[in-house]
Amino acid sequence: MGHAKVAKLRPQLGPIIPWVLLGVVVLILPDLMRTTVATEVWIFAILALAFNLLLGYTGLLSFGQATFFGAGAYTAGLLLIHQRVHPLVALAAAALAGGLVAALVGYLCIRRVGLYFIMLTFAFNLMAYFIVYQASSITGGVDGLPGVPRPPVNLQVISWDIRPGVSYYLFVSLIFLACALALKRVVDSPFGLVLQAIRENEARAAALGYNTSAFKRLAFVISGAFSGLAGALYGMLFGIVPIDTIYWVTSGNVVFMTLIGGTSSFFGPVIGAIFFIWLAETISVRWERWPLLFGLVFVLVIFFFRGGFVEVWRRLQALLPRPGRKLEPDRGPTKD
Amino acid sequence: MENLIPTLTVQVFNGLVVGMLYALIGIGLTLILGLLDIPNFAHGALYALGAYLLVQILGMTGSFWLGLLIAPIVVFILSMILERLMIRPLYPVGTNYVLLFTFAVSVIVQELIIILWGPVGFSVLPPTMLAGSVELGLFSYPRYHLFVMFVSVAVIFALWLLLERTRYGAIMRAGIENKTMVSALGIDVYRLFTVGFGLGAYLAALAGVLIAPIRGLTPYMGVDILPFAFVIVALGGLGNIIGAIAAGLIIGVTQTLTTQFWPQGSTITIFAVMALILLTRPQGLFGAR
Repeated sequence: MGHAKVAKLRPQLGPIIPWVLLGVVVLILPDLMRTTVATEVWIFAILALAFNLLLGYTGLLSFGQATFFGAGAYTAGLLLIHQRVHPLVALAAAALAGGLVAALVGYLCIRRVGLYFIMLTFAFNLMAYFIVYQASSITGGVDGLPGVPRPPVNLQVISWDIRPGVSYYLFVSLIFLACALALKRVVDSPFGLVLQAIRENEARAAALGYNTSAFKRLAFVISGAFSGLAGALYGMLFGIVPIDTIYWVTSGNVVFMTLIGGTSSFFGPVIGAIFFIWLAETISVRWERWPLLFGLVFVLVIFFFRGGFVEVWRRLQALLPRPGRKLEPDRGPTKD
Repeated sequence: MENLIPTLTVQVFNGLVVGMLYALIGIGLTLILGLLDIPNFAHGALYALGAYLLVQILGMTGSFWLGLLIAPIVVFILSMILERLMIRPLYPVGTNYVLLFTFAVSVIVQELIIILWGPVGFSVLPPTMLAGSVELGLFSYPRYHLFVMFVSVAVIFALWLLLERTRYGAIMRAGIENKTMVSALGIDVYRLFTVGFGLGAYLAALAGVLIAPIRGLTPYMGVDILPFAFVIVALGGLGNIIGAIAAGLIIGVTQTLTTQFWPQGSTITIFAVMALILLTRPQGLFGAR
């Protein structure tokens, strides 16, 4: 009896395990690195997850994710500086800005495929960069937008002061978990399944009657909104929106961290973001020329770990013997 | 008003000089794009490497001419080795990975430049033979700028001869047109890719060498030029060499003229035009397809 009960419970527990692990990592990460760096990890994890909705799930290599990250960062920064808005309002506005910009960019870029699509996203990223660069009276230009405040999170009953580093870390990680849950719901929804169908074979998805362009556009908007939100958190972390937030090299870095984590699993990009930020911080304090090592690691990933950490994990798992496995029907993760 | 016409003419001349260099970079990029089907994100880095190798050779021998000759050839050989050893294994894996690899290469080359030659940058004097200006009736013009224009035209003409008048050039054009067909005819397309990549890199490095005395060198010159190279390719049409020349000249002249009259808007306009063309005429302004 008891045995049957356990077997029945297992498939329900399975999906919870990664979330429990994630919660543990959120709790121990500040012990492993400086609080600022740990906060940065979850900000980039949101960005990488949002990006992977396009690359991993829809099969679109957007080389301009910094456009939306930057749009959110500047929108929130300006609102916080000039209007002194509630931080949650700033986050909502940043998500809205990221989504709107992504709607526009996506609407235009999705008309083209392959190389043209990549180059278009790149072109719009450059355009956005130079707009910010030139509008220096508003954006601070190349010096960035300084003086972004971190006002308390006022929730009627209580007011949460997020100015201390640890409080802000908690604030960011809670938002990260919420974003991750939301994005997980998106990719598991019928909508998310259609996106994966488009990735596998767009012509066939279209033949089934799906308006694939509309699906891709919506994926862009969702991805852009979460990227914008991440941008807002980034500006609030450092009290400044550096122009790098909208620079095309940032777009390249997002591709890198997503790839190093693995695009084939939902949580892959999170692992990639942790690794990327940790590596960048660890090497950059010791050696100013850390991007060199970065480039080399990138090359190694391209040649030997194409599936990222996720693939390494799967290969290790395949090597380990699994006692008693044969007795149960295989309910292993069937994620793509 | 009296000064305006000579100033304008000088600006147009400057635009044409820079435009010819843009054309060299653009031809290289479009050649690689047409043959290998990848946007070469390392193109700017190869251009910067050319300029820095010039500085190195200048420091060792004191001869600009030697640098002009050797630096692009070194880049040519290095990039052929790179293509053969590192890029070729990635072709079966997919375009995205080749693209990301060139992105990594651009980061690595830029950092190596900073490590080897320092983060500050250099200025290079043109050789004494080309110093000073020439009187051109209305205005006087730097001799070196005229030399750059001459060299670019000569190189582009030589390239045109290679592509249009030789058997190998015909194969290369066929490779841009239809790779499957070319390989079906028993031609080793992979070797074609290697040579094409090297040739594209050579042109980028040559442009880097030639621009050094005009704009000077910084480690970030590669990252700065890359967007323009992509604009030129988009404007000219992917894989279209004549288009790249025309687009290079248009961008060069537009840039110098707009910086004269509307400095804030020049770059934004250029990228807006790029987006517009990619959307409405993906074959480029000059493509027939």
